[in-house]
Amino acid sequence: MLRDHVSRRVFLQTAGAVAALGALPAVGRAQAKEVKLGYILPMTGPLAFEAQLSLNGLQLAVDDVNAAGGIKSLGGAKLALLPGDTQQKVELGNSEAARLIDQGVSALIGPFSSLVAYSVRQVTEKNRTPFMLLAAVADNLTEGGLHYVFRVQPNGKAMSTLTMNNMFEMAKTAGVAIKRVAMMHEDGNFGTTMGNHVESFAAKLGYALVQRIPYNLKSPDFTAELSKVKAAKPDLLVISGYYGDSKIIAETAAKLRIGVHALVGLANAAYSNPKFIADNRELTDNLFDGNYWHNPQSARAKAVFDAYQKRFNATLTSHGVQAYTVIGVLRDALERAASGDRDKLRDAIARTNLADHILPQDAIKFDDTGENANASPALLQVQNGKPVVVGPARFAEGKPVFPVPKWHG
Amino acid sequence: MTGDLLLQAAVSGFLLGGVYGLVAGGLSLIFGVLRIINFAHGAVMMLAMYATYWLFTLLGVDPYLSILITGPAFFAFGMLVQRIVIEPNRFAAEHNQLLLTLGLALFLENLALVLWQGDFRTVRPAYAAASFVLADALVEVPRLIACAGAVVMALALFAFLRLTDVGKAIRALSEEPEGAMLMGIDVRRIRAVAFGIGAACVAVAGALVAPFFYVAPDVGESFNIVAFVVVVLGGMGNFVGALAGGFIVGLAESLGATLLPGSLKQLVVFALFVLVLLFRPAGLFGGGHGR
Repeated sequence: MLRDHVSRRVFLQTAGAVAALGALPAVGRAQAKEVKLGYILPMTGPLAFEAQLSLNGLQLAVDDVNAAGGIKSLGGAKLALLPGDTQQKVELGNSEAARLIDQGVSALIGPFSSLVAYSVRQVTEKNRTPFMLLAAVADNLTEGGLHYVFRVQPNGKAMSTLTMNNMFEMAKTAGVAIKRVAMMHEDGNFGTTMGNHVESFAAKLGYALVQRIPYNLKSPDFTAELSKVKAAKPDLLVISGYYGDSKIIAETAAKLRIGVHALVGLANAAYSNPKFIADNRELTDNLFDGNYWHNPQSARAKAVFDAYQKRFNATLTSHGVQAYTVIGVLRDALERAASGDRDKLRDAIARTNLADHILPQDAIKFDDTGENANASPALLQVQNGKPVVVGPARFAEGKPVFPVPKWHG
Repeated sequence: MTGDLLLQAAVSGFLLGGVYGLVAGGLSLIFGVLRIINFAHGAVMMLAMYATYWLFTLLGVDPYLSILITGPAFFAFGMLVQRIVIEPNRFAAEHNQLLLTLGLALFLENLALVLWQGDFRTVRPAYAAASFVLADALVEVPRLIACAGAVVMALALFAFLRLTDVGKAIRALSEEPEGAMLMGIDVRRIRAVAFGIGAACVAVAGALVAPFFYVAPDVGESFNIVAFVVVVLGGMGNFVGALAGGFIVGLAESLGATLLPGSLKQLVVFALFVLVLLFRPAGLFGGGHGR
């Protein structure tokens, strides 16, 4: 719809330009212009692998936009990605951001780590450069009255409260009451934030948090902790953790016959991870996970998955989905701004109302702080060795198994 | 706090303690003979876990059987590393030797990151999920096997140190380096052998934990830091002390998790560490003289 509009305008503009310049072909004119977008990601260091997944998503999206004729309101200007490596370090995040801004990027994308993001947002604010957060989920990144920071993916608060909501909706449909919830989370910034939200959300949703156990993610044994959880007789066990710790917890919980209705990951790095599921088939059966995901009902999402598979010989992950979407938001804003000017682009992003996306949510819109007002995680359940979206209901591709018999021993 | 929880904590702490003991035993032996603190110990364990993973994934070798391959292989690897990296720096200042092993650890971890990326891998044989209940306490079979295997390995090494000529030479070198040299012991070779044995210890430990753990470039850290505490607890260079120290730390950690809130179990371990350093600096079982 929007696209038709733009193409007509572009067609007229291009036609006018061709007429004015005589015989110069339209293609030549289009190639003269480009809009630079800078990314800062931890391309080297411990998060190099994940960063590459994000970069793949960015590249795929940029190439899609360019192949479809670039930014039409800018005469078919192509998007160009300028690289920056943070090495997961705050100082490098700042200096790389400043360098890219110097090189004239219209917007900055990144930087994975919330810690780096917290610092870089000062640089982008000072230089009046739109900063699209990628993978950084700390709630406070959009606080402080900043104007240039935007975030498409759910922050920690949205992730945890909406996941609990999804679980409760589902339990209600199944006619099962959830009164007692236990939470285990790694004791770093990520897990603690999730734990705080699950705790403070208890009163609102009407559950009691009967055990909250922060743990060191390097710990090789969680039997004592899980025995405490079992003794508290919870209906749900919620786990915010990384890969290895989450694996050991699921394993030990199964052996202890922990007796809950479900094990629920919260932005868990393992429980909806296809590789984890493939490596641990019977262990992962019927695990739930609230996580960043795509909309399984969207035909466009399917096309993006196929294209990604073909190009990178790997399955698109949520990191790639987020990155792909950020470029979509920027493309839409650039079209409306009809300018690569940072301030104009910022205003256009702020007025975003983008329904054509691949996320499990309604239109992408930003609130006053720059958060995606409709941001929503998906509720997944591992079924037959695959993560299946079971909530929210309108995006679901399968029916949840709940309560899960196996957790009752 | 009910008795059930404490019993469960004691059982699981004890089982893990055996593995701690074996990892620390290797570290302690290396310290006793070479007088260096080997920060690369955890990284060697990580490499051994990758070896176990690849043998399991590509060739279908059972993790426990793979010890027959990885044990000797890492013994040789340890000797080689000692010859090439450690031995030339034998007379360097102590802090330089420390930095050397730290550098080696960083090198190995980043090598793994380059070769196999940061993603986690799982070794999951059919018996990974096996467990039974003993007097109300859950016993996970892979953890039980790991503990038993670690104790067997430690006892075998103890017998080796006591009964064989090479073992006696190792103990002699640990106790009195100059005397050992004067008695005609090939100290250069013995140093390499000791480092090789240390590497073989973590290789065995790595294979033993693989079925209930995961494999990643930084996986060694889970055991390395605890191993240092265990070594200090058991007495630097004291092999048997390390095994006993392993059980003590395992139990302390697990009971700490039951009795204290949240992540405080780590605190128990390090409090123990500081207390031992303050009041029994030679360790609970005395410093190592090849014991």
